[in-house]
Formats: sequence, structure tokens, C-alpha cells
Amino acid sequence: MPERRDALTRAEDGTVHIAGPSAGPAFTRAVLEVAGAVLTWPVLGPTGLPAAEIHDVGQAQQWLWAVYGERTAAAVDAVAQGTPAAELTPPEQPTALAEAAARLALGHWAARWWPTSHLDGFPALEPDVLGLELAALTHECQQLLDESGELEGAALLEEHLAALDPLIRWRQSAAPPRQLDRVLRLIDDAADNTGLDGEALRRLRSALEQDRTPSATPMDLAELRVPRQEFALAAGSSLRTATGRVIARGSGTNDWCRYPPGFVDAAENAVSWTAYALGAGRRIEVEVVADIAAPVGGVRLVAEVRVEGSPPNRVPLARRDDVWTGRADLDIPASTTPSIEVGVLLPGFDPGPGAEGGAAREAVRALARHRLGVAAAPHDSEGAHPDPFLAEIAAAAVEEDF
Amino acid sequence: MVIDSAWRGLGPGPRALSGPGGAPLTRTVKLIVLPLIVRPALRPELAADFLDAREAEQLDALIRESGAVLEATAQWFALLKRTRRALGIVAGNPQDLYFQRCFELATEHGAPGSGADAVARAVLEDVVDASGGRTVEALKEHLADAARRARLDAELTAAWDGREAVPGAVDTGPAAEVLDACGAAGADAPAFAAMVRAGHGSLLGRALGAAHPADVWDRADVPPHLGLTAHRVPPRPEVGRSASTATLPAPLDRTLFERLFTVLQASPHRERLPTVPELVRREVGRSCAPLGLYDESLRVTVVLGGRLAVGLDPLGAGTSAAGSTAAHRIVNSRWRREASVLRARRMTVSPRPDPDGGVLNALAQDLRTPWAAYMRRLWVRLHGRDVRDAALPDAASAWGVLDGVARSVMMDHRARVRTALRALSAAAEPAAEPRSA
Repeated sequence: MPERRDALTRAEDGTVHIAGPSAGPAFTRAVLEVAGAVLTWPVLGPTGLPAAEIHDVGQAQQWLWAVYGERTAAAVDAVAQGTPAAELTPPEQPTALAEAAARLALGHWAARWWPTSHLDGFPALEPDVLGLELAALTHECQQLLDESGELEGAALLEEHLAALDPLIRWRQSAAPPRQLDRVLRLIDDAADNTGLDGEALRRLRSALEQDRTPSATPMDLAELRVPRQEFALAAGSSLRTATGRVIARGSGTNDWCRYPPGFVDAAENAVSWTAYALGAGRRIEVEVVADIAAPVGGVRLVAEVRVEGSPPNRVPLARRDDVWTGRADLDIPASTTPSIEVGVLLPGFDPGPGAEGGAAREAVRALARHRLGVAAAPHDSEGAHPDPFLAEIAAAAVEEDF
Repeated sequence: MVIDSAWRGLGPGPRALSGPGGAPLTRTVKLIVLPLIVRPALRPELAADFLDAREAEQLDALIRESGAVLEATAQWFALLKRTRRALGIVAGNPQDLYFQRCFELATEHGAPGSGADAVARAVLEDVVDASGGRTVEALKEHLADAARRARLDAELTAAWDGREAVPGAVDTGPAAEVLDACGAAGADAPAFAAMVRAGHGSLLGRALGAAHPADVWDRADVPPHLGLTAHRVPPRPEVGRSASTATLPAPLDRTLFERLFTVLQASPHRERLPTVPELVRREVGRSCAPLGLYDESLRVTVVLGGRLAVGLDPLGAGTSAAGSTAAHRIVNSRWRREASVLRARRMTVSPRPDPDGGVLNALAQDLRTPWAAYMRRLWVRLHGRDVRDAALPDAASAWGVLDGVARSVMMDHRARVRTALRALSAAAEPAAEPRSA
């Protein structure tokens, strides 16, 4: 049974809160901004109704009943009017809108926090494929959104149009995923509604107007991927530049919150360091395995090095092929084996070191592994799982080619 | 919810007005069902969020009775969209542009019959052409004439020299009282009307125009003009003959051309504006008026906005004494929500200045002086109202504008973070061309 005590409360600033399952660190939360409220689902928990922070109760009435049910909508209204608190009586079955909203929020989460890693073997989700599915889901959730949410959907559609032609071909191939037709129809409808037009969208329309004559050839899903330069993984081998005696080495902390997606391989052991003795001096070298994004010139990550709990030293890192590297001289007493902590961050982006998140990161990896497993065999699991995202199906297929 | 189930009861007829799940589109409800069918002004009992059984039945019946006209509206909408595509029109949201027109067409003609194509074309051309020559191009042409520019320049000098002297000290204190009454439903703030009567907005404008008064906002660390000018006191406006959205100066430093350029760019209903020569003529006097605005209620809203802006706390640093009204609590709690959404979407900027942070650090710096962006946007919005003679009659409508600006500033910030992050890792994409003239 869901918890039922005082699930609805009113805060001092007048916002009404609907309690939900507690969420962990930022990278385990799927959030969605809707008309008059922010909804939050824990990515790692069981799926269900989200927590809500409602700042405009009047606006939120446009969808509250359709997500939380009529009784909760009325209770929110009562709490906003001054009833101290109320219980939550969720609908027995999640509504279609609640399910679509959860999926949209999870998709936005995946676009930012998917643990892409060469070391761990998590292929990237193709941003254009995921972006178009999110545009479709945004349209599906139109009842929830205000104007800025709607604009975000239109922007997603425009930004990721590059994936449209490959998706049309996928639909015409031998065994398209079951939700693909619906995604494409939603995109067509969304474009029609917002007045977007263009050659790819016209090709979509005429493809949808014709009866689908499935071709005998399956789609080569590699077509969905934008080619990127591949590097042979060289970390930890040829990059050693110092020639001194190794006095200590270890792994640093790979806190995903401290740099944008695409910069660093998400594996726990992507950050490593080695300390050397060079005569009387001490030097540290930091190596960070890079992710797929190709940063533009001049953008530099830095390593944050703490020796014996000292204030952090910044070591600028330069990108070379698939590794970020940097080194600095350290002021360490020669006699001791130092305790060294190393983190990696993007200056200006870094919100500061967070709480230890290793267990949560491991749980996210387990989630990604599970989802890719489902995506690799979508037809085996008919009904048992919600459909994987198209980008996950494509990623799982390419993973098999590794 | 009653609307939803009644709508579904209509069957597939009005499909073009429905969303993917079969519910009416949000805009169908806002632009057609509520204003044209339910008409709460005539039936206030149907305006509430929660209806009793009898009212619900009444609403349900209203929608069902309108089934035929809604179906015809949907057919007209589908026809207009098809015609629009054929004509290659892409500007604007078709629902916003055509929903009401489609309902009118459906009421007048029923479903589209023979000759409907011609009607559709006429409607589309009518909507496209609605600007009536009130365009940036026309403004440019009007101000290209050297003799006219010289005359306007002389008029600006005369108007600038004829400004009234400063009568006395500025007191923005009453603004706090108005702001404290904001946001609560039905709350009225007589202090707003009192400020308008006493000319508090003009007072501030004249003081800023004449000197660099100390301690206007009860905060020593902000300039009295809050970034409305880059100078100690604003200079006399120039006529100008070009503008670019990317490089617009501070509001009170803008040329006549730049001020009107913004109005002509942003206006959804340009046909309701004065003609271009009339716009220019009035802008001469307006640009020399206190705060660059004619209407006192709009000037007072600048005072309210300033008071609100100096208490903005986007970084959640803790409330300063300046930020203690109900309005501040609402706006700052929105910033707090925004920060948590941005963390969850991996779109952060460092809370502390970071010299290595490049463009992200510039964004973080802007969050430390949030009043500048706020006042800039507020002024543009108030100026747009002034040009249309749209005064703000009471505290509630002023709050609507103040709150809307606060949201826009936040959305701007997010858009800039998104752009900055994208620019970090993408090969420089051809950015959207900045609009200019």
C-alpha cells in the first residue's frame, strides 16, 4: 500500500506539495515542468505517481485530475484554500497521461545522465533519435504543459530533425519497433499543430499517407548513428611523461554532477592519478578517460587535487585523443605516502562537490544495463516492460556489434 | 474534466482540435471552448474550477449542443492548415492565428462547402497582412529622410531641454507595501493607486534624469538606475536609423529607432498600433519623459519592479532585507525551483565566481546582479504597453506584468545556459541569425 499520511501539504510560500517517493542525488531524479508545477520521479525507484510542487494551483487544475485523479485534484484545491494537510488517494491504475509524463521525464533524464562509457560498455544514446522521441512524447503530454513546455517540444523537433529520415526508413524496414509508427505520427501531428514545415517533414507526411509495405530487409541500425571518430583506448599506457619513481597511484572520484554530459566516460574508474618522486620533488599526473563529445578548442576540464585534506589544487587537463591529462608539482613531505583525493570538473559549471554518490552511480549503471537488455530483445518482453526508447534499441543493436 | 468528457462524447468530428489522447488541445479549451462556447462572463457559475452536478450538466450540454459547429470549426482549421502549407506560410502558431477565425467561419458558413478554398485563402492573406505597413522596414524608410531626421533631432533637443526640474527626494518605500500585497488572490493594494496619484514614478524618473541619487533602493551596492542606463545619468536620445537585437544598449540609452524597432518586432497585433509616422512623433516626447514612458501607472510599475529586482535572489544566498515582501517570496521560490530543475537536467553554473569559467562564469556573474536583466526586460514590456496606451489600472495587473517579467528573465537564463553548454562541445553550429535592421 502506498503511504497515505499527510501526503499533501502547503508550504510557507503558498506552494502545495504532493509527496512522492524520496529521491536521491540530482542524477537520479527525472523532472518535468508542467503548467503550474514541477513533477519529480525517482529514476531508481519503482515507477508510480510523481512528487509535485505546485506553485499555481489554478493552472494545475487543467491536468491534476488526469494524473492524480479527481479526489486529489479537489484535495489540492482545499489545501491551497487553507485546509492544513490532506491524504492522497491515488487512482488504482495509473492514467495514460501519468504514464506518458513519466516516460517523457525519464527520456529527458536519459538525455542528460545516461552513463555512456567505453570502459563499462554502455553505448551512447543517439541524441537526435532520443530528441525526436521526446518531441513526440511532449506532444502526447500537451494537456500537461504550458506554453513554454510546448515551445520546448517544438524546439526539440527542430533541433533533432536530422534523425527523421533514418526513422522513416526504419519504419519501412522489416521489423520496426512497435512504438515507431506512433512516434512518427505524433511528430507529424506536432509539426502540423505548430506550423513547422520542411522537406523531411513532407517526406514523413507522404510516408505516413501511404500504406506501409514492409520491406524484407531489416534496417542496419548503424544508420541511426552519427559517425564519430573512434580512438583506440590508450589510457594508462603510452601517456606517461614523467620518468620518476612511482610513489602512489589511485582512482579519483567521478562525480557526474560536476561536468556536462559527454565530457568524461561515466565509469567509476575513469579518473586515475599517479604520484612520482622526481629527485626531491613530487609530481602528480592525472588521466581522465574522455567521452564522445568533442569539446571545442580552449575548453578545459580541471582536476581538483587534495593532498592530506588540504585546500584543493587545480590541475588543468588537456584533451588528447580519448584522454584528458594534466600534471602538477606537489608540495608533499618526502617521507610519507600521501593521501590524495582527485576529482574532475568543468570550471564555471561545477556546482561544488556533492555527497558520496558511488552507490547511486552503480545503481544507475544497473538500470542502464537492464534497459539495454530489454532493448536488445524488445519482442521477447511483450507487455512485461514499457517499451524501451528508440535510441536504446539502436544503442543495444550496435552494442552487439562490439 | 467535465469539458474533457463532454468533448470525448462528441466523437471523432472535431479531431483536428484534439490532442493525441483525444482530449481537447489546451488551446482549444483556452481559445474556443471557454471564450466562445462557455462564455463565463455570461455564466459566471461555470467559471469555477470545481462545478456541482447541475453546473457540470449545464456545461456538458453546452458543449454537446456545439458539436456541429465544433466539427465545422475543425474542418475549417484543417483546410486553413492545408492552404497555409500550400502558400508556404510558416510564421506563427496556426492555432493561435486561426482558431477563433475558424469558429467564426463555422458559425457563419457551417462546414466548408464549395468556394471554401477561396475563403480560406482570403483569411490567410488577411491574417498575414494584418500589420498594415507597421513594419521595421517602414520605420527604416521613414527615418531615412535626412531632413526629417534633422527635424526630429531638433524636436528631441527641445523636449529634452524642456524637462521639469527635480522636485524632491525619491521614496521607494511605499512600493514594498504594494509588493507585500501581491500574489494573494483578490488582494487589493490601495497603495498602488496612491503612488500613481502622488506621481512616485515621475519622481524617480526625474531624479534619475538629473543626478545620481544615493540610496534610492535601500541598498548601497546597487546603482540608482539599476542598469537602465550605462551612464551616470541617461543622455538625450538620438534619432538613430538601425538596430540589432544582439547589441541593443541599455533601455534609456536607446535611439528612437531602437525603441520602436523593439515594439515592431515583438508585437503580435501590429494592426492595433498607431501608424509609423504617428509612432515616431509620439516617441519623441515619450523618450524625453521620465523613465521614457508617458503613463504614470507604468512609471510606478518601474518603481515596483526596481524594488522587487533589488531583492531577487537567484542563487539562494539568503534573503537580504530588500527581499522580504510576498512578491519576493513568490519570485525567489520560483528561482529555487528553477535551480533544482537545472541541477536535475545537468545544466548548472557554479554558484561562486570562477575565473576559469569562461562564458559560464559570465552567466554566473549575471545572476549576481539579477536586477539589471530584470529592469531591462521590464522596461521593454512597459514601453510596449505605453505605445499601445495600455495603462495598468491596479496592483493586480501590475503584478501580472512584474511576475511575467520574472519568469521571462528566468527562461532567458536557462536558454543562455543551454546555448553556452551546447557551444562547449559542438563544432560551432551556424547560430540563429540575430535579428537586425
